[in-house]
Amino acid sequence: MLSFILKRIAQSILVLLVVGLVAFAMFRFVGDPVDTMLGQERTVQDIERLREVLGLNKPFFVQYWDFLVRAVQGDFGISYRQGRPVAEIIIERLPATLELALVSGLIALGMGIVLGIFTAIRRDGFWANFIMSASLIGVSLPTFLIGVLLIYAFGVGLEVRIPFTDITFNTGGMPIFGRGDTRPVFGWVGGWNSGLATWDGLQSIVLPAITLGLYQMTLIMRLVRAEMLEVLRADYIRFARARGLSDRAINFRHALKNTMVPVITVTGLQLGSIIAFAIITETVFQWPGVGLLFINAIQFVDIPVMAAYLMLISVMFVGINLIVDLLYVAIDPRLRVDGKTT
Amino acid sequence: MNRLLTASVLALATALPAQAETFRWSATTDPQTMDPHAVSSAPVLGFLNNVYEGLVRRGRDMAIEPALAESWEPLPDGAGWRFNLRQGVSFHDGAAFNADDVLFSYERASSEDSDVASWFAVVSGVNVVDEYTVDILTTSPQPIFPDSIANWMMMDSDWAAANGAERPARDTENFATRNVNGTAAFMLQSRQPDLETVLVPFDGWWGEVEHNVTEAIFTPIQNSATAVAALLAGDVDLIDPVPVQDADRVNASDGVHVLSGIEARVIMLGYGHDHETLLSGEDNIFADVRVRQAVAHAINVPAILQAIMGGNAEEASQLVSPAMRGFSEANAARPAYDQDLARSLIAEAGADGATFNLSCPNDRYLNDEAVCQAVVGMLAQVGLNAQLETMPVSNYWPELRADNYDMYLLGWSPGTFDAEHPLRFLVHTNGERLGTWNFGGYSNPRIDEMLPLIQSEIDPDARQAMLDEAAAIVQQDAVYNTMYVQPLLWGVADGIELTQRPDNFFILRWVTMGLPVE
Repeated sequence: MLSFILKRIAQSILVLLVVGLVAFAMFRFVGDPVDTMLGQERTVQDIERLREVLGLNKPFFVQYWDFLVRAVQGDFGISYRQGRPVAEIIIERLPATLELALVSGLIALGMGIVLGIFTAIRRDGFWANFIMSASLIGVSLPTFLIGVLLIYAFGVGLEVRIPFTDITFNTGGMPIFGRGDTRPVFGWVGGWNSGLATWDGLQSIVLPAITLGLYQMTLIMRLVRAEMLEVLRADYIRFARARGLSDRAINFRHALKNTMVPVITVTGLQLGSIIAFAIITETVFQWPGVGLLFINAIQFVDIPVMAAYLMLISVMFVGINLIVDLLYVAIDPRLRVDGKTT
Repeated sequence: MNRLLTASVLALATALPAQAETFRWSATTDPQTMDPHAVSSAPVLGFLNNVYEGLVRRGRDMAIEPALAESWEPLPDGAGWRFNLRQGVSFHDGAAFNADDVLFSYERASSEDSDVASWFAVVSGVNVVDEYTVDILTTSPQPIFPDSIANWMMMDSDWAAANGAERPARDTENFATRNVNGTAAFMLQSRQPDLETVLVPFDGWWGEVEHNVTEAIFTPIQNSATAVAALLAGDVDLIDPVPVQDADRVNASDGVHVLSGIEARVIMLGYGHDHETLLSGEDNIFADVRVRQAVAHAINVPAILQAIMGGNAEEASQLVSPAMRGFSEANAARPAYDQDLARSLIAEAGADGATFNLSCPNDRYLNDEAVCQAVVGMLAQVGLNAQLETMPVSNYWPELRADNYDMYLLGWSPGTFDAEHPLRFLVHTNGERLGTWNFGGYSNPRIDEMLPLIQSEIDPDARQAMLDEAAAIVQQDAVYNTMYVQPLLWGVADGIELTQRPDNFFILRWVTMGLPVE
């Protein structure tokens, strides 16, 4: 077990180095930060001096090495755009993204499992078919469009008339952008300002969380349904039925438990992509998380912020994969036999 | 055109009872710093004009008017300018403003760490005559010097010294990056970079209050669809800009309207004048003036404005718009749209069927990529085969600096609002300080000879005569093919009066809220 973890950690470090290298190589194609940093009246000397100050005139591998050496010490440099330490900015922005990812993950997981079980058990029912068809929309519409549609439907609002009456109501009123009021909840460096602690903040998170979680929810639902149908066809379920166990016991105690292994894998991996793909949702809802920070950084060619963000995301993916692997071992005893853990 | 406040509206505004009015506005970019001398970009300078003030300022019509200086006059023999400072002005923290602060602000803004030091390239020194008189000495006569320092903002020397902000911080942060101590009508109450910036009125302001805003909240919203939705939902009172394609829809919605004006920015096509060959390796057709003139005749600017800009812009005949000082009336006509003339010029030059590259940014100017696509189509009709290459602006400038283009799109907004500005940067022979944006390497001895004369000519008529001559040269030589002046489109909630200036600065002290909606 220990050697397994150590091996995975060594692999993880290698992955991080490669990600950093690829990212740094990409930055050469993102553009040149000096033009966006200097005003209209800059001279050639200004450009050269700034290049010198930022170390951009050094060879590529020297820049990468400098970045790694400083990153190991927790120093991710100074943002070109804001002039503040990148680590400070990211710590400030991370709570927004984590809260958004958490809430949308919970929505996706909760709704996904419930709807998945429902559509599996009532596989030929009207509602099950309806949900299955509707879920196609969830997977096929791009996140951006879902976000904008939700904004117009529940933010700007549509006038809806209740049939056969003169009563109309407006569907709008939900907050469209930002996190609303936030309140510090943990007293660490910079503090964790949570939007989940205020009513305004809770309202603000609803639309972005649904936008971000919709795809994952559909995915989990379809996975749970497929696995559940598979398990329900298995011999031991038939024997259980033959023994006269109640439907409830069969469905929830025996069948559900055995569908959860792949669901946990997918959920774990999806949590990483929720955080990574939050970029689009954060842009649409002006959600002040690290994704929005990254988009701003690209436009401004803010290389220190881009580098730190990409490293952060890769650390997260690597970490999540590690946890998922460990959870496998915990859930499925067969994997505990040495040599099969990979 | 600009909707300026009329006198009657002003009278109404002052008659309104004082009530709590929170004004919320958004733009696509957050000002990256609150330091007035660290970054010379429109979002920063425009925002800071609400909290800091200079010796002079621009009015609703862009004319220079007194601010912290009550009056100014040229020193004898063109030695510089004397500014008589306003008395009884205090900074937000209560400290008094005097000549020492001007000297300090000069030293700070002209230092090596400053991004606005170029405004002071002609200044040889600043003399404090007495507590409320300052002489700014120049190396040569500078007729438009007061115009060129409209965005030079005054800082309190004691405040800066007490907080370790004596020099602007560009690559790092200091106290002035997130804190403000200006003299203007609004004070900074709170600032969260990229998220929210709150301003409140300054009770001790020297000027006459025209607004009725009690709190102003600025939020950057990058995504234009979100910004439009926020305006429609009533979450913000002003958005800048409204995307051209959404303007009609916003105007048709209840409770909001589009305020459209003409920006100072002229959009033009540039050429690689000094290139030996095109990128394809063939001879550079744009070295021939007839080809450049043909391009000017081939482009149907009214069609571009109608189809792509939604009828919201004006044709441009020269490097500055008619709203700028020094605009040449004699050269007010753009080369006519004439495909036959274009074809014959191209035939004369032997450039028929030439293939070349047209470089274009896709995130810098309004609908820049669509405009370039239209240009490609129009050039094809006269037998020029342009290959469009578009890229984000952060890649664009390095490409232009590296000469990787045959023809390119450029927009220019003169910081001084004067016709001398584009001559200095776009037309003068490329050098250390002059012609720094003259990517094509155009060089004309007459322009180079005239520029210093224009810069130091005191007599307005003699100066205009030279500007006219320069504009004629640029037009006849087709140095650039100027197409149109970019429109300004703001989305505003009904019942709010404000002023839209061609420099796209949003000035909070001209906002009146809660007016009856007609």
